[in-house]
Amino acid sequence: MRGLLSKLERSLEQFLGTSKVKSKDDAKQRLKFLLIHDQVDLSAAQLDQMKVEIMEVISRYLEVDADGLEFKLNKEDGQIALVSSVPVKRVTQRTAVVA
Amino acid sequence: MSQCIVVTSGKGGVGKTTTSANLGCGLALAGKRVALVDADIGLRNLDLILGLENRIVYDLVQVIEGECKLKQALIRDKRVEGLYMLPAAQTRDKNAVKPEDMERLVLELKEQFDYVIIDCPAGIEQGFKNSIAGADRALIVTTPEVSAIRDADRIIGLVEANELPEPELIINRYRAGMVTRGDMMNRDDILEILAIPLIGLVPDHEDVIISANKGTPAVFDDNSVVGQSYRRIAGRVMGEQIAFPSFDQSDEPNFWSTFKRWMGFAPAREVV
Repeated sequence: MRGLLSKLERSLEQFLGTSKVKSKDDAKQRLKFLLIHDQVDLSAAQLDQMKVEIMEVISRYLEVDADGLEFKLNKEDGQIALVSSVPVKRVTQRTAVVA
Repeated sequence: MSQCIVVTSGKGGVGKTTTSANLGCGLALAGKRVALVDADIGLRNLDLILGLENRIVYDLVQVIEGECKLKQALIRDKRVEGLYMLPAAQTRDKNAVKPEDMERLVLELKEQFDYVIIDCPAGIEQGFKNSIAGADRALIVTTPEVSAIRDADRIIGLVEANELPEPELIINRYRAGMVTRGDMMNRDDILEILAIPLIGLVPDHEDVIISANKGTPAVFDDNSVVGQSYRRIAGRVMGEQIAFPSFDQSDEPNFWSTFKRWMGFAPAREVV
C-alpha cells in the first residue's frame, strides 16, 4: 500500500513536472566517490581511521572545530588528491614538542 | 593494416556479445574481411547470436591444441562476403588457453583479415587476459547503471596497464525517456566519470532481443534504430567521423505520453 502510494505520488510529480527526485545524481555522486576509493584501494572506513589518526596529531597543536572538518579524496585531471579542510579554533600549546 | 579489437566490459550481461556480433557484421557489410572470435570458453554464445550454432565442427581450443587447422574451424557467414566466426569450446574451461596461444592465433588471423574482433568473457581473470593478449585496441561496453560503470572503470585501468592504447566506450541500453526524467545518467555524466572517448551510443530497444531470437544481428536491418547505431559504430571503428544523433530529443515526453504513463497505459517498454 505504501509502495503504491509513493508510486502514485511519483507519477503525479512526473505528470505535473514538479519531480525533484533525480536518481541519476545519486548514481553519479556515489560512483565518483567509489571509483576513487577503488583506485587507491582505500575504503571509506580506512579513510575515516586515517582521519582519526591524523586528527590526533593535529589536536596536539591546535584546537580544531570538528563540525567543520572535511577530509576526502578528490580526482581532478586524472590526479587523485587527499583534500582536507581543518577549521582551527585556537592554538592549544605554543611550545609543544613531541618527544 | 589489420587490426585486432577486443570487446570487453568487466561486468556480464551488458551486451558484449551483441556488440561484437553487430560490429563484426557491420564491418563486413562495409566491405571489410572480418574474423569474429568467441573467447568465452565454456560459455559460448556468439554462434547463437549470429545464427551459426548448427554449423560448428571445430573450435578455438582445438585450433590451439593443433587438432585441426585454423581454416577448418572458421565458419563462413553466408549472409555477407568476408565474414567468418571462430567458435569457443563449450566443454572446456578458460585455462585451456594461455595468452601466448591467443597472441599466436590472432597473428595468424590478421594475415587473412582486416579486422579480428574478440568477444571477451565477463570478469578480469584468465579469459580476460587471454582476450586482450593479441589485441591492438579495446572497446569497453557499459550500460548507464552504477555496477556496469564501476566495472568498466576497473577494466579501463587493466587495459591501460596492459599497454593497449586508450580504450573507447560504447554506452549500451540507453533509455532517452529515463534520461529526460533524470532517472538515468546521460552520455556526458558517464563520460565525465569514465573519461575515455565515446565511440558508440546504442538505445535500449526490443530489436536486440528479436534479432537474437532470429539469429540475425540488428545491423542487417536498415530500419532498426539499433542496427543504425551499430552501423555508425562500425564506421567510427574504420576511422570515419560520424556524429552522434541525439536520442534525447526524439523522445521528449509530451503531454499525451506523460498522460498515458500516468494513467498506466505506458508502453511495455521504452522505445527510443
